[in-house]
Amino acid sequence: MTDISSASQPSATSAAGGTPPAAPRRGRVRSQSRWWSAWMFLAPALLLFIYFKFVPMGEGIRMSFQDVSPFLGNSWVGWDNYTTVLTNARFHQAVWNTLVLGAGQSIGAVVIGFILALLLEGPSRTLWFVRTAVFLPVVTASAVVGEIWRIIYFPSPDGFMNKLIGLVGIDPIRYLEDTSVALYAVMTVGIWSSAPYYMVIFLAGLAGVDRSLYEAAAIDGARLRHRIINVTIPALRPAIMIVSILAAVRALRIFTDVWVLTGGGPAGSTQVWMTQIYTQGFERNNLGVASAASILLLIASVLLTVVAVYFTRNKEGA
Amino acid sequence: MESGTETSKHSSKAYKTTAIALGALMSSTFAVQAQDALEVWSRSGPQAAATYEAVFAAFTEKTGIPVEYLTALQFDTQLQARVAARDLPDVLIYDQSSMAAYATSGWIVPIEPETLAGYEEVSDISWDSVKMANGSTYGVPFSQHAQITFVRKDWREKLGFDVPKTHDDLIALATAFATGDPDGNGVDGDTFGMAVPGTTSRGFFAWWMFSYLAQQGASYVEGGDGKYEVTINNPAGVKAVEWLYDAFCKDPNLAQPGAMTNASATPFFAEGQAGIYQTGPYAITSFTDKIGAENLEIILAPAGSAGSTTLTERTSIYFGATSTLPDEQKALAEFLISQEGQTLGMTAPGQPVVRLPVNTNLVAADIYEDPRFITVAKQLEMSELMPSDIDFTAARLEIAETFQTLFSQCNDDIVPQLDRLAGRISEELEAVNALK
Repeated sequence: MTDISSASQPSATSAAGGTPPAAPRRGRVRSQSRWWSAWMFLAPALLLFIYFKFVPMGEGIRMSFQDVSPFLGNSWVGWDNYTTVLTNARFHQAVWNTLVLGAGQSIGAVVIGFILALLLEGPSRTLWFVRTAVFLPVVTASAVVGEIWRIIYFPSPDGFMNKLIGLVGIDPIRYLEDTSVALYAVMTVGIWSSAPYYMVIFLAGLAGVDRSLYEAAAIDGARLRHRIINVTIPALRPAIMIVSILAAVRALRIFTDVWVLTGGGPAGSTQVWMTQIYTQGFERNNLGVASAASILLLIASVLLTVVAVYFTRNKEGA
Repeated sequence: MESGTETSKHSSKAYKTTAIALGALMSSTFAVQAQDALEVWSRSGPQAAATYEAVFAAFTEKTGIPVEYLTALQFDTQLQARVAARDLPDVLIYDQSSMAAYATSGWIVPIEPETLAGYEEVSDISWDSVKMANGSTYGVPFSQHAQITFVRKDWREKLGFDVPKTHDDLIALATAFATGDPDGNGVDGDTFGMAVPGTTSRGFFAWWMFSYLAQQGASYVEGGDGKYEVTINNPAGVKAVEWLYDAFCKDPNLAQPGAMTNASATPFFAEGQAGIYQTGPYAITSFTDKIGAENLEIILAPAGSAGSTTLTERTSIYFGATSTLPDEQKALAEFLISQEGQTLGMTAPGQPVVRLPVNTNLVAADIYEDPRFITVAKQLEMSELMPSDIDFTAARLEIAETFQTLFSQCNDDIVPQLDRLAGRISEELEAVNALK
């Protein structure tokens, strides 16, 4: 305890000045012990990380170059697994679906999250209640969300959603059945369940926007539209960046929503990268191929993050 | 100095505490291992699990061998984790269709059936089903049945139909269910003809379709003894698939909405939305509870041009390769195929885990005291197994995915799709060296 407090406030000891000659010696002892004490404090977390994250990751990289068969012995196959993934038509379809789903879901969720934040910003008690209600999908388990939406999407004419659209004279839609609609139905669920999360980040950002800017804009005669474009959005730039990165990385890893709603069907129309990995690994028992696909996903996520960070830095610099 | 000894004392005390804690942890781990409990897995819902528990309790009482039982609904995923840890359950009770995949991966070990007590009480056809292409046996038969056809008797009688005997009768009845008002709620067309499990998970759709194809003389592959040729795109195959295509793609659609993505079709029949369902007799208990015995009809499959054949499903017992308890494994298998074990599997509270006994000394209808099982047993005699002496998993997944595509897109693309499917099945068979 004393170590930490004195380390973080080195001036405090000299200011107290109780025993001036002892102070430098004690300071030296502390600085010597500090390098390992820091590691000691980090050790529990580090050990857990190494054991549960880095070792499996290394293992995954090794397996991606092997024909995995724990009981007959793994054999090295070089880049074969990667070739299989990159030449497999199912993975091609999965990449396309992941990109469409990822882009649509990210943009949709960020835009709707932003609109929700604008609508629900404020200290009023009713707003607090509405905000909590809107946030509920985020804290609901995605498996449960999927099951609920399966009921909402029930494809017969007396299904919930079909009844609603029937009120305005639209014919029943087979949301999860129709190969041309299923991906968008999944996307809607994704937007519904993640937009409130981004709303909270935007709300935090909005709280930091200088009120006087709005007042100045209002005096200059700016309309609501102008205020949003010229004041709110520039002020929220850091939040928008964070939210966009989060949304994109999340979209790449999408699994549960798809798995619960459609299992990748019908006819592979909602098959995404992660569901392909699952199918390869656990249904077809091709752990090597599944590992290679996972590593490719890891690389894609890292690249995406690096690119996003690069652009944020540039923007901040400018 | 003093403070130094104080610290070292302190730390040695801490070490001691840690050591004791660690020791306690380790000894408790060893204690579990030292018990020599036989770890047994099955893929069962809560009701069937209750039955298994009763069976194992009787086994433990008889032999003194404790059983640690786990039901894994995500069987394959959970098993993969144990494979990665190279620590498999001692005994696995699972679908016959998985045996070849497990055997070729080295997860389960060969069995010498003749050395098991009660060997001769199990039918030859059952023992044949657990043989691999190379002739060695990797499983012990435990339960068998064929898919049977459930019909809502009250609905059928209300609309004035006879028990369907042919495919034409079946389609006529399903159409009436889909367009009429069999449940008498005053609304036409809010019920569905057939409950169809169109999911591709585990290639389930391929299993369901197998029966309707076989009834018209069509099949995915034909052959035996480890070598098969693809027959799905031959004239009989095309004709049978066209028949099914009409049921899914013509107006009215005879399957329940969402048939191609529902994880399970069972609720649609159990909750009075669909009137016909082809599935295993394991559903009898829950359907009787939900619909009522008087409204539930179990019939032989309506015949197509080639008869009333349906899919045989089998459950077998496998021995995990890492087990250190070979005698106990054997003892459990012997108990499970004995008259006592089989009877318990049918009658213990829960859901029967032995649907029809593999033990030839037992008659299911007598044990269940239920004449409906005469039909179930009769259907078994008119049933066929999908290839189980080779690893057919990948081919099965391809089949399910192709038909899900065909019946959800409904774009009249039958022949080209079947040709493509035939090519893919050939590739998968070639990969496991099983192409004739």
